[in-house]
Amino acid sequence: MVRTTLKHLALGAALMAAATAHAQKADVIHWWTSGGESAAVKELADAYTKAGGTWVDAAVAGADNARAAAINRIAGGNPPTAAQFNTSKQYHDVIAAGQLNDIDAVAAKEGWDKWLPKPIVDSIKVNGHYYAVPVNIHNPSWFWYSKSALQKAGVAGEPKTMDEFFAALDKLKAAGLVPLAFGGQSWQEWITFYSLLLDVGGKDAYLKFFKDHDVASVNAEPMRRTLAALKKLHGYVDAGSPGRNWNDATAMVISGKAGFQIMGDWAKGEFGAAKQTAGKEFGCFAGFGPSAPYMVAGDVFVFPKTSAKAVIEAQHKLASVFTSPATQVAFNNKKGSIPVRTDIDSSQMDICAQAGVQAMKDPARQIANPDMLMTPDMVGAVQDVITKFWNGNQSVDDAVKALQGAVKG
Amino acid sequence: MSSPTTGRRSRVTPARVGLYALLISSAAFFLLPLYVMLATSLKPMEEIRLGQLFALPLHVTIEPWRQAWASACTGLECRGIQVGFWNSVKIAVPSTIASIFFGALNGYALSFWRVRWAGALFGVLMFGAFVPYQVMMYPLVRSLAAVDLFGTLSGIVLIHTVFGMPVMTLLFRNHYAGVPSELFKAARIDGGGFWRIFFQLMLPMSLPIIAVAVIMQLTNIWNDFLLGLVFAGRENLPMTVQLNNVINTTTGERLYNVNMAATVLTSLLPLAVYLVSGRWFIRGITAGAVKG
Amino acid sequence: MAAQLALLPMAITVLGVYIGTVLWSLRISFSSSKIFPTNDFVGLAQYQRLFNTERWIVSLQHLVVFGVLFIAACLVLGFLLAVFLDQRVRGENALRTVFLYPYAMSFVATGLVWQWMLNPALGIQSTVRSLGLPGFEFDWIVSQDKVIYTLVIAAVWQASGLVMAVLLAGLRGIDEALWNAARIDGVPRWRYTLSVVLPQLGPAFGTAFVLLAVGVVKVYDVVVAMTQGGPGNASEVPAKFIMDNLFNRANVGLASAASTVMLLTVLALLLPWWYGRTVQSRREVRG
Repeated sequence: MVRTTLKHLALGAALMAAATAHAQKADVIHWWTSGGESAAVKELADAYTKAGGTWVDAAVAGADNARAAAINRIAGGNPPTAAQFNTSKQYHDVIAAGQLNDIDAVAAKEGWDKWLPKPIVDSIKVNGHYYAVPVNIHNPSWFWYSKSALQKAGVAGEPKTMDEFFAALDKLKAAGLVPLAFGGQSWQEWITFYSLLLDVGGKDAYLKFFKDHDVASVNAEPMRRTLAALKKLHGYVDAGSPGRNWNDATAMVISGKAGFQIMGDWAKGEFGAAKQTAGKEFGCFAGFGPSAPYMVAGDVFVFPKTSAKAVIEAQHKLASVFTSPATQVAFNNKKGSIPVRTDIDSSQMDICAQAGVQAMKDPARQIANPDMLMTPDMVGAVQDVITKFWNGNQSVDDAVKALQGAVKG
Repeated sequence: MSSPTTGRRSRVTPARVGLYALLISSAAFFLLPLYVMLATSLKPMEEIRLGQLFALPLHVTIEPWRQAWASACTGLECRGIQVGFWNSVKIAVPSTIASIFFGALNGYALSFWRVRWAGALFGVLMFGAFVPYQVMMYPLVRSLAAVDLFGTLSGIVLIHTVFGMPVMTLLFRNHYAGVPSELFKAARIDGGGFWRIFFQLMLPMSLPIIAVAVIMQLTNIWNDFLLGLVFAGRENLPMTVQLNNVINTTTGERLYNVNMAATVLTSLLPLAVYLVSGRWFIRGITAGAVKG
Repeated sequence: MAAQLALLPMAITVLGVYIGTVLWSLRISFSSSKIFPTNDFVGLAQYQRLFNTERWIVSLQHLVVFGVLFIAACLVLGFLLAVFLDQRVRGENALRTVFLYPYAMSFVATGLVWQWMLNPALGIQSTVRSLGLPGFEFDWIVSQDKVIYTLVIAAVWQASGLVMAVLLAGLRGIDEALWNAARIDGVPRWRYTLSVVLPQLGPAFGTAFVLLAVGVVKVYDVVVAMTQGGPGNASEVPAKFIMDNLFNRANVGLASAASTVMLLTVLALLLPWWYGRTVQSRREVRG
């Protein structure tokens, strides 16, 4: 009897909630579909629901598929309320085509200029208007290592310089382990290249190449040194690396068969799924030395153009909810990334994330990832050069020439 | 029904043994990947990480299968791939029927009836089979949106019919090219018109090729992902969208055992159709008809 | 006439959909479209860029190698399997399903399985070596020159079942009486197959060939799942180039140009064949 009454009450409440929340229905396209990512999205959806909206999930795995779905729906006159992109230049063409709503109102009200890191602001603010809400900061250039593998090879501790890193690789090789767990896919070779450019070539060379597209810098010493290091690094990966998925490479580190992997902080998800903890079975560092640059990449949501008042309300509510401190902490904990806000408490995060938050506190260390500095087209052209260099017998001179051709645009 | 014209009994001749040997070794080549898929789907992730690809599972578990069907995460929801099953059926059945019908109709009309411009159009249709459908997507999206069919069930059925037309037409036209024209002429003399001959003579004779057509179209439409994602609309998303969400992930963790289980589960329907299609691969209907 | 009415949907599809979109794509290839199609005009700039892109040139070369091997292997294997299955064997249903099931499965998963199986560290090479043949080598998939052959293997595995089905349907339409007559004359079975059955399967082979050719031009899933076009560019194919530029690199103009070049190539190959058939059928009508 009581149960039936409660059921009726619950039904009534749900109906009322639906009636009011229906006005702020948010149809959101994103590509977070694995178990860990789903838990992270749930934080965003729950926060939005608590703020009075209704989240309608339109997940599509594979970033390319999700973006294709979003673009086609915009073209077909049935746009989503919000669509996920990377913090990059990918959506700048959509802005240029006039297909996005701006969220200046939210940005002004919540003072985004005050606590958003500069590389992100540069990416989401076009022609003085804010067109995207950032939700996290991923760093694609972390170094992961298996403590047991390093111990077995007699490597004392974390390498503090590039030379120590190569020395550690040599020790691993001598011990019969795979020094560098690697997945031979174009985007992974790409990550390795720009990580090396940042750590070996240095911040200036990196910016000259990616930001200024400076052709002469390609033939300068820092870049040449980077390319030589990249070639040298190839000798430390195993024969089965071409085509390998990044998770399979992480699995090699997890099982102690390999020593290091250069991969983004999303790798924590694989370690977590294998029940390993940062600092216990595996270690992490994001560059060499206490002032090593920290690469800023991540995800944003854009808001397709619409004049429907209810949808605009929903869009603003999404932007506001996504960047609130509580949501940022909850979401990023599950996602493995770090919050975009520089003013939150990181004590509940794992040690790798804490190191990341610490690094981000110093604006001099923040550096934008290549996607934020180059169009997808140019990124692709450079990627083609790098994958050919990595997989073939090209000389550094030829690679330099090819790279110059790619950035000339 | 296959005519018992020969009294040949299957004796154990060297030729017969050789035949079975060849068939079985071919079957082994075809089955090897399936073995790896099934073995992987029954292993826990710890075993998979060890990388012993061909080893039998040490700890057999059917958890991945349960997960794939009912609890794998596909976005915010974690209800596995079952969510889209009926949508897939709703899309696949009408699309298969429609595309086969038009293919048979076109093939019939092209083979037996003289229409002046038909040959040229058929040539262009064949050429159309080579066009990558991704390039065609943007104009189709705009066209369907203009007639309010974008994001609807009718829209996606129409899209599948259109994309299936070249191959289906080819299939039936070539099949009818092998049918003796005396048959057709006799039916005309008997007073049959266009539609009567089609429904009462040609279609019943085409069972083997209809079987092939069903195999092709059902498989292609059932496994289609991109067209369903773009054109079907949110309420009609097929199973393959969830399958893609389970298997494909850019930076999330990959549970290979669940992925393999999900793939096998999704393919069960086409496989069942293949098994059942045997009754249509029957011999001698066209042949017998000429004599009688 | 009823026939003309019945063919109207086909006519509309051809003219409206296929010709229409091909022409639209051609128009876009003369523009600088990025993520959305735009209407500006840049002449042949996209085509110039296309043929200066090494990745595109090698993709065409790979397509030729892949195409020839794939079509030949599928036709031969499909024919043999169809003939064998036609011999009234026990378990025909089960065997037919075994040969067809690869076609039913999404290549995203099966391609990964092939990648694992052909990976030297993980698959066949390491297993055979551990079974006692330490010098055994089967690392084609990581070799720049031989990776294309691994694609052929996986693609043949997936497609020959369908070729077998098409040819089996054709075989089942051949009159048994012909074999009886040949047997009485003492003609061996294989001779009968080659001189009587094969010619009668002409249309079926034609269908199979076109299906395979379409598959070659559009080959994409197997490449993405197995090698992602690698190592480097060693297994790049045109359809992947087009897709990458269409979505990932937001380069609709370049993708349209590439697609137009592919279609022109197909047209160039189709036209002589089509012309030959028209001439032949005119001759038949007259004579």
